[in-house]
Formats: sequence, C-alpha cells, structure tokens
Amino acid sequence: MSSTTHSSNIQASYIQLRNISQSFALNDTKVTLFEQLNLTIRQGQSYAIMGPSGAGKSSLLMLMSGLELPSSGQGVYVKDGVKGKQESSLEALRPDIGFIFQQFHLLPELTALNNVALPLKLRGDKEAISKAKVMLTKVGLQDRIHHNPNELSGGEQQRVAIARALVFEPRFIFADEPTGNLDEKSAGDIANILLNCCKDSNAALIMVTHSQVLANKAEHVFNLTHDGLTQLKGYNTKIGHLEAAC
Amino acid sequence: MLITSRALIESRTLLERTKLAWQFYRQEYHLPQQRLLRWTQTILLIFMLALTQSSFSVQQYLTQNLQGLLGADAKISQRQPFTNQQVNDLSEQVKELVATQQIKINFSHQDSWQYISLKAVADSYPLQGELLTATSLAGNTEQSLTGPKQGEIWFDSRLFASFNLKTGDIVHIAKQEFVFTKLIKHEPDRLMAGHNVAMRAMINIADMAKLNFSENLINYRYLLALDSTQLSSLQDWQQQHLPAAQLVHKQGNHPLALFWQRTENFIGLASIILFFMAAIAIEQIALKHQNKEQYFSAVCMSLGASKSTGIVVSILKWCFSLLLLLPIALLAAAACHWLIIHYLTDNFPNLQWQWHYGLSLKTLAFISLIFALFYLPVWYSLLNSSVGKLFTSAKNTGSNFGQKLVSVAVLVIVVLAYSDNALLTMMLVGAMLVTIVLILLLSWLVLTLGEKFTQNLSGLLPFVFFMMKQRLVSKSTQILGVGLSAFLLLFTLMLMHDLGKTMSSYQRQHDGNLMVSKATNDQLSYLKNWASEHNIIIRQNKSYMQAKLIEINEQSLAEHTDKPSDSLATFSREIRMHWNNQLPSNNRLLSGTWWQADSDNWQQVSVEQEVLTDMGLSLGDELTFIISGQRYSFIITASHEFKPGNGSITFWIQIPTAAIAHIQANHYSMASLEVSEQQQPLLAELWQKFPTLRMVSLQQMTERFDNLLAMITKVISGFSMLIILLAGIVILASINAVEANEQKKNSIIMSFGFNRMTCLKLNIIEWLITAMIAAAGAIVGTYLAGLLIYKSQFSLNYQPDFVWLFVTLFIILASVTSLGIIASRKSLNSSIRQLMTE
Repeated sequence: MSSTTHSSNIQASYIQLRNISQSFALNDTKVTLFEQLNLTIRQGQSYAIMGPSGAGKSSLLMLMSGLELPSSGQGVYVKDGVKGKQESSLEALRPDIGFIFQQFHLLPELTALNNVALPLKLRGDKEAISKAKVMLTKVGLQDRIHHNPNELSGGEQQRVAIARALVFEPRFIFADEPTGNLDEKSAGDIANILLNCCKDSNAALIMVTHSQVLANKAEHVFNLTHDGLTQLKGYNTKIGHLEAAC
Repeated sequence: MLITSRALIESRTLLERTKLAWQFYRQEYHLPQQRLLRWTQTILLIFMLALTQSSFSVQQYLTQNLQGLLGADAKISQRQPFTNQQVNDLSEQVKELVATQQIKINFSHQDSWQYISLKAVADSYPLQGELLTATSLAGNTEQSLTGPKQGEIWFDSRLFASFNLKTGDIVHIAKQEFVFTKLIKHEPDRLMAGHNVAMRAMINIADMAKLNFSENLINYRYLLALDSTQLSSLQDWQQQHLPAAQLVHKQGNHPLALFWQRTENFIGLASIILFFMAAIAIEQIALKHQNKEQYFSAVCMSLGASKSTGIVVSILKWCFSLLLLLPIALLAAAACHWLIIHYLTDNFPNLQWQWHYGLSLKTLAFISLIFALFYLPVWYSLLNSSVGKLFTSAKNTGSNFGQKLVSVAVLVIVVLAYSDNALLTMMLVGAMLVTIVLILLLSWLVLTLGEKFTQNLSGLLPFVFFMMKQRLVSKSTQILGVGLSAFLLLFTLMLMHDLGKTMSSYQRQHDGNLMVSKATNDQLSYLKNWASEHNIIIRQNKSYMQAKLIEINEQSLAEHTDKPSDSLATFSREIRMHWNNQLPSNNRLLSGTWWQADSDNWQQVSVEQEVLTDMGLSLGDELTFIISGQRYSFIITASHEFKPGNGSITFWIQIPTAAIAHIQANHYSMASLEVSEQQQPLLAELWQKFPTLRMVSLQQMTERFDNLLAMITKVISGFSMLIILLAGIVILASINAVEANEQKKNSIIMSFGFNRMTCLKLNIIEWLITAMIAAAGAIVGTYLAGLLIYKSQFSLNYQPDFVWLFVTLFIILASVTSLGIIASRKSLNSSIRQLMTE
C-alpha cells in the first residue's frame, strides 16, 4: 500500500442526511422511493448501498452528492478545513466530489493520460500531466498511458476512470455499480484498487452495487428497500485485508 | 418451380424490409438530423427544379420565336459592301434575297438627341413574316407590304414618344430631309438582327446612299430565303469567299439564346455553390447517421439477417425520405417557377408558365443521384459493419479521408461539366480549396500553439484549447463547415455590395462621364478642337482598327473549339485591335515578352489572359484576322491583363505599332471625356455634325448599368437567402453531428465537481475560437476570390472595403456563435444521472 499524501486536518468532513424523503409523480400518481432516511457519510470511510432495482439507490446517490434536491428533509455538508468546521447545504459539496460509473464514460478521443488529466486541466493545474501519470501508475497502468479507451479492456478502462475520479483529490467519491460491467477477476481487482485508492487519498467512497463481494469490502453496508435503509455492517466491523495497487 | 418459390420468398423479404424501413423512417422522422437532412434536400430540390423549368421555358420560347419571327431563313452580314459578283453568286444559291443596311447614329431633333439604330431596307422588304405599322401610338396596327419609300422615315414607338413627333413632321439626318410617315410596330427580322435595345428608325435603302456615311460604319446585310439543302453549300461558299462575314441561320444558335445561356451559366455557378454547401451539410449529418445505421445493421445481423438487410433498409428509408419530400418541393418549385416567369415577361413578352414533366423527372433523377452520392459513405460503411462492433461498442467518430476525397473529386467534375466558364469555375473552386487548406492549417496551428502557450495559464481557456486540440479531427470538420459557409456567404454579400459601389465610383473617377466608342480620325481631330474650344478635358484616347478573327493555327473557329464562351461569342463579330510599342499603363504582362519598338517582326500579338484561357490558346499559336478584306497572321508572343487605376479603356488584342505600315485599314479611336452639366447642350451640335460618332453619356451608361445591376441584385439576393438558409443548416448539422459527444463531455465535466455555468462558459469559449478560425479563413478566402473573380469576370476594380467586410463578418460570426450556443443548449442540458442510466 502506498502512503497517504493528505494532511490530517481535513479528516472530519462529513455529509449528513436528516429525515430525507424522495418521491416523484408518474402519470398523476405519486411514487415514493424512500422516506425519513437518516445517514452520515464520513470522509475517509467506505460505504456500500445495496438493494433491489428501483428501490432508489441511484436517487440516494444523487441526493448525497447534492446534485438533486430531496422532496423533504435536509442534507448538510460539514466541512472541516483550516478555518475549523463549517456547515453548509449540500450544494457546497460540488467541488469536493468525484464520480465513477458502471460504463466508465471515458472520452473516446483522449488517451488514458489525457482522460485522467482532464479534471486537473479544468482546474488550471499546471502539473496536470505529471500528476495524471502518478495516478495512472498507482492504478497499475503506467504502460498504457498513451492508449485510447477503445484499446483498453473493461477492467483497464475502469482503472482509468478511478484514476480520473481521484486525481483531483475529492473528499467524496460516488461510484455507481463500479464493477457491474466486469468479470469476477477484474471486479475483484477493481474493488481492491478502488477501496485502497480512496483510503490512500482519504476520500469517502460511496458505492451503489448489487455485488455482495464488493459490498463486503466496504466498512459500512446498507440495504435500501421501500421500507427504509437498514445497516448491515457497521463501524465496529473490520474490513478484510486489501491487496492491490495504491 | 424452385425459381418461382425463391422469387416469392425474395419478394416477401423485400416487402418485409420495406415495412421495416417504413417503420424506422417514421420513428426517426422527428430526429434533429433527419429534419436537417430534409431541409437541405428540399432547398436544393426547389432551387434546381425551379431553375431548370424556367430556363427550359425561356429556351422553348426563344426557339418558337425563332421559327416564326426571324423574317428569313438565314442572314449574311459584314462590315463592307458586298461586290456585285458576290451578290450574284449569293442570289444563285438561294431562292430569294433582300438587302438591308444598318448603322448606329446619334439622331438629334430640336434640342434633344438619341443614339439610334437606323435601318435601310430595299423595296422588296420584308422577305418573310409581317411588317406591322401604325400612324399613331393608339392607332390601329396594319400590315405594310413594303418598307418606307424614298424620302420617308419610320420610327419605333419609343423613339416616336421620346421626340414628341407626329406624322408629317420633317426631320434631318446628315443634312438630308425626311418625312416621318409611320410608326414601326413589328419588324419580322428583328430577332435575326441580334439582341439590341437601341431605339429604331427605318428608311429606304436608296436614301442611305445619299447620307454618305463611311462604308465601314455600315453593317451590310442580306436576308435570305433558302431550304436546308442549300444551307451547307452556302456555308461552304461563305467560308471560302467571305470568311469575315457572319452567317446566322434558323438551325443555329441565336444571339439572344447565347445571351440567355450566359445568364443561365451564372446562375449555374450559384447552384454549384449551393451544391457545395449542401455537400458540407449532408457530410456532417451523415457522420451521425453512419454510427446509427451501422449499429442497426449489426443488430439485424446478430438476429440472423444478412448484411444486405441493413443496406436495403437504409436505402429504402432514404428513398421514403426523398419521395415524401417531393410533393412539397414540387409545389414550392412550381410557385417559384411562376414567379420567375412573371418577372421575366418584361424581357420575354408573352412568355407563359408551363410545367415540363419530362424535364422535371430528369432533374429529379439527377438531383437524387447527387444526393445518393453525398450519402454513399453511409451505405459503404454498412458493408463494413459486423456483429463484433456491438461487443466492442467502438464508434466510428472519424471519417474516411479517402471517401471524402472521392466525393469532392466527383463534385468538382460535376461542377466543371455543369459550367461553360471553366476559368470562373476554377477560380471559385480554387479559392475554396485555398480556404479549406488555410482553415485546416489555421485550426492545427491555433489549437497547437494555443494549447502550448496557455499551458502555464489558469482558467478555462487552456482547458478549451486542450480539448479542442485533442479533438482536432472532429473540430476541424466543424470549423471547416462553418468557415466555408461564412466564406461563401461573405463573398456573395460582398459581390452584391461592391458591384454597385466600386464600379460606378471607379468609372466616374477615371473615365469621365462621356465615352466615345468609335471615332474616325477626322472626327477625333474635330473632337479635340471642339474639346479645347469649350474647355472640355479628354481623359483618354486610344487608337484601334477593326479585325475579325477567322483562324487559329489555320483552323476555323468552329473547328478549333465547339465550347460556347463569352470570348467565342465576341469573336464571332469584329473586334477592336489596338497597336502600341509599350505595354499600356493599365495593363500588366502575364506571360511572354512585349515587343521592342525597333523590332522588325511586326506579326506579333498579345492576347488578354482570360481570352487566352477561354479559347484554349497558348504562346506560339497563330491567329489569322481579316482586316479590311485582307488576311493577316500573327503569332501570340505575350499575354496581358487589365490593371486598374489608369483608365478602363483596354483591348483584348494588341499588336506592334510597326504592323500599321503593313496593314491598309481605317483607324478609329476610343476616348473618354469629362463634360459638365452646363456643357451637355453642346453635344447636340457635335452629333448634328457627325451623326455616326458613337458616344455614350454617363446617363445612358448608368441607365444600362443600373438595369443590369437591378437584375443581378435580384438574382444575388435570392441566392443569398438560400445561402443563409443553408449556412444555418450547416451549422446546425455540425452541432448535431457532435451533440451526443458534447452532452457526454458536459456530464463528465459535471462529475468532476463543476456546474452547468462552467460548461456554458467552456461552450462559449469554444464557439468563439471556432468562429475566429473560421472567420480568418473566410476573410482570406473572400479576399482571394474577390482578387481573382472581380477583375476578370465582372470587370471590377477590386478595392475591398475592409471596414464593411469586417463589420459584415462580425455580424455573420456573432450570429454563428449565438446560433452555435443556442443550438448547443441541449448538450448543456445534461446530467450525471444520464451517465448512470446509460
């Protein structure tokens, strides 16, 4: 495992959902996804959300990331920085989040290196390329940096996507079925890389998954159904030893 | 039996495929790219259908009029009197002949004057057809069996009205007295005499002799009645005995038909520009179609269908799309055709609206073929589709350079075959190619340097450069589409703007306001004295003699080339041949060497560059002219072109001064004068003295020019509207082609923690860079096209008004950027959720 590059003064940032409900109208009928949920996501820890299709896992992910608003309830972002703790709405979370998708969503015309450098370039980082190289090395793709996405396997593409999501050092990573498109072996490798890299970057990892294997690797596991959110695995549960890059 | 069942299966399969194609066509009907494709095709269909229908109507009108209104089966004319022997020979070869003579004079009566065409006819006139006359404007029209008697003069209605005459009035021409007796309503040989708008008067041929006009100013003409068997022997006789004479017959091309053909070619060139625009639009749309159709074909194959299924369904869908456009396009084209015919009835009386079914089918077939050609890359790509592509999900984002090159080459061939003016077409195609290369080069240079130099800057600009550079191929295609549209639009608008402004101001500045196009030496010396007496400035004065080109490298003109062109049409008449020892100050030497003043070799000639190209001539070729009935040969040793700034009197054909000693011919002069408003009445005196002095006042010049300009402006305005429409479509198509990619890019950017405002800013910066590169290409392309085309094709001194040019360009690009941003709003309307659901 590689060493962390983060200072300890940002460890305590967290997202808190208070009595959150989400519903929408479909053909004049109100469809309720979930009601009165309470959840706290802490930076540096890993979370897996499981549950049947249509239970609202992706919607919960969107709410947590502040990209969608709940029908009722409140979401807050408590940021612990050099000025101490500051509470704000989830909209303020935007600069501190990154996403990983089931379909990878790399830009096909860019090489692996340029895909990873993209978020840094957007932030005007003059060392974007060198940082992207370091990140790609961390996910074990140092030999494939100049390859285009269509020249990479699914597992390799997802590794590029992980590198891209982590390279700008977000505090929270949201992953939607990150291993859903991969075979068992690749899925295992990706899961380890993902969890290790997030740990190493001191980022919270929030995954939506159907994979029990992946979920078991998270520190906290929740099951989301129409009846509510049930915690299957909590703070006292030790996670298994992870061996992979990062 | 086996064959029958197979045919049955195949027909069933075709039916099923047709049903499938229909179903998909309906499903895709409202997709943006389908809508853009329909717009592009509809505009071109309407344009081409209306154009071909209208031109065919005019051609048919001309042919019908030639059949009934020529007044003779053939006409032979020349600038010298026919000898008695020649007339005898001629009369032996035809059934009947009638002599006429025509001269252009300045006719003055009381204090008014008018440049008129005076025709003298023999007693046996008219030969064929009806000569219609009247005694007053409102009076009854009656048929006259002969022309005017000696001492009588007839005027046409316009001349009659402009001089406020009444029957019985006495008028004078060259001090001879004539009694005005009749109004000419219709001359049967009018069309045969050529397209001429001058006011007309008619006298008896015996009176012409009394007027004592110089022989070489008169056009001697015989109207001939003959049958088709006599025509070829007459042509041979004319070639042999009167090579400088002009023989026009019913079966040949009429001057008016040639005039219309040239107008048609100009519009043809306009349609070529539209074709290029459509090609760009369809190319952009096809890129998106390609992936979609390939995906569909692969799905079909994965379900057990053959490869041909995808192709057949795609072709059937394309056919449905085209067929369903036809009713709208045909109706709109019929309406446009009606409007054009209505507009042309001023120039072509009694021209009637008529729909030519066979022609419309031919046009439709031709356009469908062109559309199919544009769409061919999509079908070609289906040949390469495979089920494997479904697994790899690799999209064909780039496009095949080879295919594009072939499409462009075919398009250029079509363009060249379509236009009769190879030089103009090549100039436009050349300017377009330079613009394309320039835009591609600029795109690469700006994006590469932009990325390199902004690397150390913060903000969104470096990111935009980085992304654009990474997507160089797709971005260049988009910039190219926008740039070419901007170039074509800007050039059209500039031509419309400058045609009026530059030409009129330039001519007034350098040429004075009175142009003498033909003055004999006596007339010129009198003119010089008269000018100095009245303090009138002669701005320019150049000598020439009249010559008729008859052979090129010992081949007749007809043998040398059968391709109609402006130059060939002019060479069918006498042209002006200028002599000098030095290259004129308003000419530029383009190839060869100009002769030395002391050179013994007088048989050298310099030919104007455009004429050289049009006629397919080169240095070293031999030109044979008839000058005053004698043959003279010259070798082309140089070519020249007009250089603006030192007066506009220039000549196509120039020979050394030394040649004058060897050629016995009358010398004439062209001159330009500046006559003030107060001095205008002095002109009446001048014309009274010399009725044959050919002068055109500024008023007359601008009137003709304004009429021409009004017609050109209407044509170009209509054309600009279509260009603007197609330019809009090209931009929308280029945005639509990359919309899915843009949407994805925006979603991904948002997944990095950015909001929509950042995406909008990126979008604006990207469109500004796109517009700036396209603008640079467009402005250089327009400048180049102006430099090439203005001078040679419109005789305009190209003095681009850069302020106007930049303001127009700014407006175009502001519209482009705004349209780009508005049209891209859908791609901004993306979300991370979409990425999750994909």
